[in-house]
Amino acid sequence: MSSNPSLLQSLSPTGDADISLKARLGEVDASMRKPAMLFLVSAVFWLLLGTVFALVAAIKATNPDFLGGTEWLTFGRVRSAHLNAMIFGWGNNVIFAVAPWIMGRLSRARIRHTSILLIAGIFWNIAVTVGIFGILRGDMIGVEWLEMPSYAAPLIIITYALVGVWVIIAFRWRQTDHVYVSQWYLLAAFFWLPWLYTVAQIMLIFEPATGVVQSLTNWWFAHNVLGLWLTPIALGVAYYLIPKVLGRPIHSYYLSVVGFWALALFYNWAGVHHLIGGPVPAWVISAGTVASVMMVIPVLVVGINHHLTVVGLHKEGWASPTIRFVMFGAINYTFVSLTGSLMALRHVNEVTHFTHFTVGHAHHGVYAFFTMIMFGAVYYMMPRLLLREWPNAFLIKVHWWMAGMGILLMVVALQVGGWIQGLQMNALNEDGTPVYSSFIQIVENTRPWLWLRSLSGLMILIGHLAFGVNVFWMIFSRRRAGEQTAPTLLSPTTEQA
Amino acid sequence: MDWGQYILIGFVFACLFFLGAALALHWAHRHGQLTNLEKGAQSIFDEDEPMGEITDAFPRKRRKKKN
Amino acid sequence: MKSLPLIFLGVFFTLAFSWTGIVLTSQIQLKEFTPATPDLVDSQDQPAPGGKYLVDGETIKNTPGMTANPQPLVGEAQRGKLVYQQMGCLYCHSQQVRRQGFGADFERGWGQRQSVPRDYIEQDRVMLGTMRTGPDLTNVGLRYSELWQFQHLYDPQITSPGSIMPPYGFLFEVREISPLTGPSAEAIELPEAYQPPAGYEVVPSRRAKDLVAYLMSLHQDYELPEIKFTQ
Repeated sequence: MSSNPSLLQSLSPTGDADISLKARLGEVDASMRKPAMLFLVSAVFWLLLGTVFALVAAIKATNPDFLGGTEWLTFGRVRSAHLNAMIFGWGNNVIFAVAPWIMGRLSRARIRHTSILLIAGIFWNIAVTVGIFGILRGDMIGVEWLEMPSYAAPLIIITYALVGVWVIIAFRWRQTDHVYVSQWYLLAAFFWLPWLYTVAQIMLIFEPATGVVQSLTNWWFAHNVLGLWLTPIALGVAYYLIPKVLGRPIHSYYLSVVGFWALALFYNWAGVHHLIGGPVPAWVISAGTVASVMMVIPVLVVGINHHLTVVGLHKEGWASPTIRFVMFGAINYTFVSLTGSLMALRHVNEVTHFTHFTVGHAHHGVYAFFTMIMFGAVYYMMPRLLLREWPNAFLIKVHWWMAGMGILLMVVALQVGGWIQGLQMNALNEDGTPVYSSFIQIVENTRPWLWLRSLSGLMILIGHLAFGVNVFWMIFSRRRAGEQTAPTLLSPTTEQA
Repeated sequence: MDWGQYILIGFVFACLFFLGAALALHWAHRHGQLTNLEKGAQSIFDEDEPMGEITDAFPRKRRKKKN
Repeated sequence: MKSLPLIFLGVFFTLAFSWTGIVLTSQIQLKEFTPATPDLVDSQDQPAPGGKYLVDGETIKNTPGMTANPQPLVGEAQRGKLVYQQMGCLYCHSQQVRRQGFGADFERGWGQRQSVPRDYIEQDRVMLGTMRTGPDLTNVGLRYSELWQFQHLYDPQITSPGSIMPPYGFLFEVREISPLTGPSAEAIELPEAYQPPAGYEVVPSRRAKDLVAYLMSLHQDYELPEIKFTQ
């Protein structure tokens, strides 16, 4: 513990006896405290801001005059600010808090060089702030999921590099023989994202590709941010937390490994299903459709595995905030992915494409699956890092019910509304004229569903406020775990005892 | 190029791909990567956090029990 | 499962595989595309069948004297595209027509033919779009007048009551009519309910004019060797 290895030494471990001792879990937790708190507090901030952006955009979608006179808050910009605040502000910050911590725990190695993570954290939040400011200001780039102006890109790439280097250090210093499946997922994700991001930046912004190759690159990137970044991280976290909380090993480790490689192989190709019917080479679309359908394999594997691990322990799971959130996410992973596979079929896509159905699907994936699992991880991680209890159980329940029911309402509203919208746009009379010849009529018919979406957004905002209050209450509370019997905490390590 | 050539090239690549996969599996098998797979699942537990112990619950619930 | 290099190899291979397939192959396939006339001729200026540029080693070229499409944007329209991008129009409007029988794009009057990759080769930023909260805009330049576009942007309720499109009033200037020069020639006509107070006029800003120029430039009303109008 005493000696502090240089960065170079860390990159190439030579076996200093003192520092290569297998760390106890409590020590790993303690070493991660500062960077995790930095990332987590930023994440909660972006989550709340992103929710407000979302609500403004949702209200604008039914009442366009709401804040209609302000250029900075016009729908197109608020919507993009919402997306970027959520993916890059909330999503990446919470990943940078949780993933290194789990990596450290699984590697049984203290987190070293936390300064790298701290610097990365500061860079990252500057980048997101600059990016979102740029979007609202009107420097938005017309590429979905890459709206941040190009002047934010260098900072983003530097941060990815810093965190990536750090994760490799943590992994190289592992004191365990076995590489657990979560580590696979995390390592792969940390490798995939910077690559994806850099290629997309080059091919779309610095040296734009020819014509519709841009669109192909765009959806290769955007779908893979979900598929090769958010998904493997959330699955890695679930593969760690479900067995960990329940004290029961994962049902079939073999299946989890099969699932990993199936995901790696198929998810890559799925993104082009966003261009079905579009002016792109037909064979690419076919490949995308095939890959989307093949995703059923890893999805069922993961679903079976998670479900069978919990079977028989439902009561215990229900009593654990972590399991409630993680299982909500895991179950929705199965649903959202199967919906996604269906949506890639040409005849289904003919209806759902260009409608709110897709918007519902995106929220289903990023929120009901990814975000809920990350909430669960935060509920597990915080007490261990701060060595104190969550201050209020009621707020956790408010958070779970509001976020959970809110997102389900949103998905149902957008997908039912979107399906109707799609049917009405395509409906033809026998003489070949559109049944709904007035486009405005179709727009009017989606309005009630968009109202429901605003309502669901309000529920989610309430949930997030409960979460935010609980987090800050916890950080600023003085109670120590030792002073009370701490159910969400483990017995303290020898060092602390 | 006509379709026959495309299919021929596709076939060659498919064969190479399959061969690669088969070799990789053979390698994995020979190096013991496939034996004792399920043991890995237990690697996340240790004496601090042993198997069979639930490690998370709502804060208030259990405190009442202990008091 | 101990081998880090092996995991990395697999992880690298999977992404490289999809990038090669989706991005690189398409780039190779599409980078040769150039603007083309509806029909092609061979070296003797005789009509050449098929949409290919090279048949049996013989060079096929555009028909002399005919216009090759698509044409690049210039001037106002080019600047207007940036406004389109900055306002986030692409989140509610697509710019692609699907083939007949797949959706009802033709029947809704959004196009006479399917959009093809060649339509987009001259664009520095391709915004195909993935939403139709509003109608498709591939051929919007053929559907409405400039005045309609200005009114619609100023407040969509003027032309399309019940629309949920945001108003872009901030792209217009409401100003006092100059007592010296009289009403501006650029001021837009508005129905009574939307008129500014007496003595004032609504004038589109530079950006509004650019945006309308861009919208008016949107059209795919030409045939290409690989695609003809469907009737």
